[in-house]
Amino acid sequence: MAIRWKIFALALLVAVVLALPQVVHDAFALDIFIRILLFSFIGVAWNLMGGYAKQLSLGHAAYFGLGAYTSTIMQVDFGISPWIGMIAGGIVAMLASLPIGWLCFRLRGPYFTIATIATAQALMLVFLKFRDFAWGAEGTTIPNLGSSPLMMQFETKASYYYVVLGLLALGLLITDRIEKSWMGYYLVAIGEDEDAAEAIGVNAPRIKRDIYMISAFLTALAGTFYVQYIYFIDPATAFSFSISIEAALVSIVGGIGTLWGPVVGTVLLETTSALLQSWLGSSTGGIQLTVYALILMAVILWRPTGLMGLIAEAWRHYLHRNPARARTTHG
Amino acid sequence: MLETVAQAVINGLLIGGIYALVSIGVTLIFGVVKIVNFAQGEFVMIGMYITFFLFNSLGIDPLLSLFVSMPVLFVLGALIQHFLIRRVLGPNDMPQIFLTFALSLLLLNLSLLLFSANYRTVHTFYSDEAIHLGGLYIPVAKLIAFVVAMGLSGALWVFLHTTDLGKAMRAAAQNRDVATLMGINPNRVFAVAFGAALALAGAAGSLLMPFYSAYPFVGQVFVLMAFVAVVLGTLGNVVGALVASLMMGVAESLGIQFVGADSGLIVVFAMLLLTLAFKPTGLGGGRVR
Repeated sequence: MAIRWKIFALALLVAVVLALPQVVHDAFALDIFIRILLFSFIGVAWNLMGGYAKQLSLGHAAYFGLGAYTSTIMQVDFGISPWIGMIAGGIVAMLASLPIGWLCFRLRGPYFTIATIATAQALMLVFLKFRDFAWGAEGTTIPNLGSSPLMMQFETKASYYYVVLGLLALGLLITDRIEKSWMGYYLVAIGEDEDAAEAIGVNAPRIKRDIYMISAFLTALAGTFYVQYIYFIDPATAFSFSISIEAALVSIVGGIGTLWGPVVGTVLLETTSALLQSWLGSSTGGIQLTVYALILMAVILWRPTGLMGLIAEAWRHYLHRNPARARTTHG
Repeated sequence: MLETVAQAVINGLLIGGIYALVSIGVTLIFGVVKIVNFAQGEFVMIGMYITFFLFNSLGIDPLLSLFVSMPVLFVLGALIQHFLIRRVLGPNDMPQIFLTFALSLLLLNLSLLLFSANYRTVHTFYSDEAIHLGGLYIPVAKLIAFVVAMGLSGALWVFLHTTDLGKAMRAAAQNRDVATLMGINPNRVFAVAFGAALALAGAAGSLLMPFYSAYPFVGQVFVLMAFVAVVLGTLGNVVGALVASLMMGVAESLGIQFVGADSGLIVVFAMLLLTLAFKPTGLGGGRVR
């Protein structure tokens, strides 16, 4: 019964999400939906390592930027399609995660976090400094070829919407698979207590390395998509610290280490941000992150399991009040 | 050539004194309360704005405003420890990291809202003065900042090693449970440690003001430097943080002199990465955590 109910809810969600761009044509609204899907996807990628294994990275912009730059360099300099560039970017990010992980995993807890910030910033500096390699600080615009799906360029926002929806579906599918596999249990064990996990035979360094590679690969795909969507790249955009922040934030607010947490968190944060923008206009710099910070503090102090924890609790409460329903759902 | 190197070393040492105030704060909080304060840089920023507004509206010299910025930030620190940090202490890293991170995000963006992104400067009568020593050039404002910073660092060391409260703090840093059994009230010790660390950040803000601009993101420059210095100088080690900060100031200054104006940070990151790769326990040895 419970499983049938879940499948029904999921089918309904998929139908609504697929139909949305057919109903809504407003460019502003579609832009918000695309942002929600994109940051959900980045959050899902972050959550694999940050959520399940509690390796709290604030440097995922490194992989976002590497993905964005790989596909853009391939497209602008060699005319190779971003679809291929996207995969290449993912592989570059995966390879980059090996030395970065080798360095950062030597530290634990907050100092791991600091080391990830430093590596992402250092990568940004590299791309700022070497001008002949990747346009330096000015960045470059991506040539607009009009409608050219093979080059990941579309006339309508709806098409971008479906591309990023596909990415998110991929991320959720991978998370679901990992969550239910031996790797998922190892990740959670490492997240709970790394020393204890190692004591019972979990090869923590290998598991952390592998999940970091997967997480980096997915984050890089988001980078390629984003620069194709905005037709512009520079180090400040591609390696923006706010990408790293938002990846972690949406997961924590939504529910760290849960499949749907990053999605729920992004819906809340991005909707709040869009509402603030329409109420106050874009003139008030700082208001969006001020509100994000307050939400984050509230979640940490009162509901460390995030919105997913809140939802689960409300559901249990509901079952408690309605024993008949509890019998049918669990029966 | 030798003179250029000497000049770069002097510049580095002078700014390294300010880095030391910030990183000693970070390492003190880490050593005693066992958390990393991601918002430490924002308290330097608050110290700078306090100093700026005192100078601008009341004409108070930045050096005198030390007597305002330090107590204000001490109280703020004790309050933050008591009402926020205390609630997330425990074995779980996530809430600790992201609570202070949220605090940093909040303070930074609030100041952006309140004060805008404009650069604010204070011009004192000694801002442009300099001592010429042989061929070397020593700006007076930076020299004062360095001397006061060293004085405050020394005062903290004396406090930690001679007073009862300071000894209680070191005891709590070594083993919180045993210290509690010995009758030390950890909450009081933590509040004082957090307050003292923030007071040092506030002092850094006041000392910077005669030769540095205040703007909402200014803290980020210093906190990054402090984190590297604290890793380099072994976590929780006050003297290590001081020495490492001075080294970082010199390394950054040499980088600017010989590699290029925008490469100071690259040198710092390179130092961090090399430390992590070859000596992850820091130069002082000890445990990584």
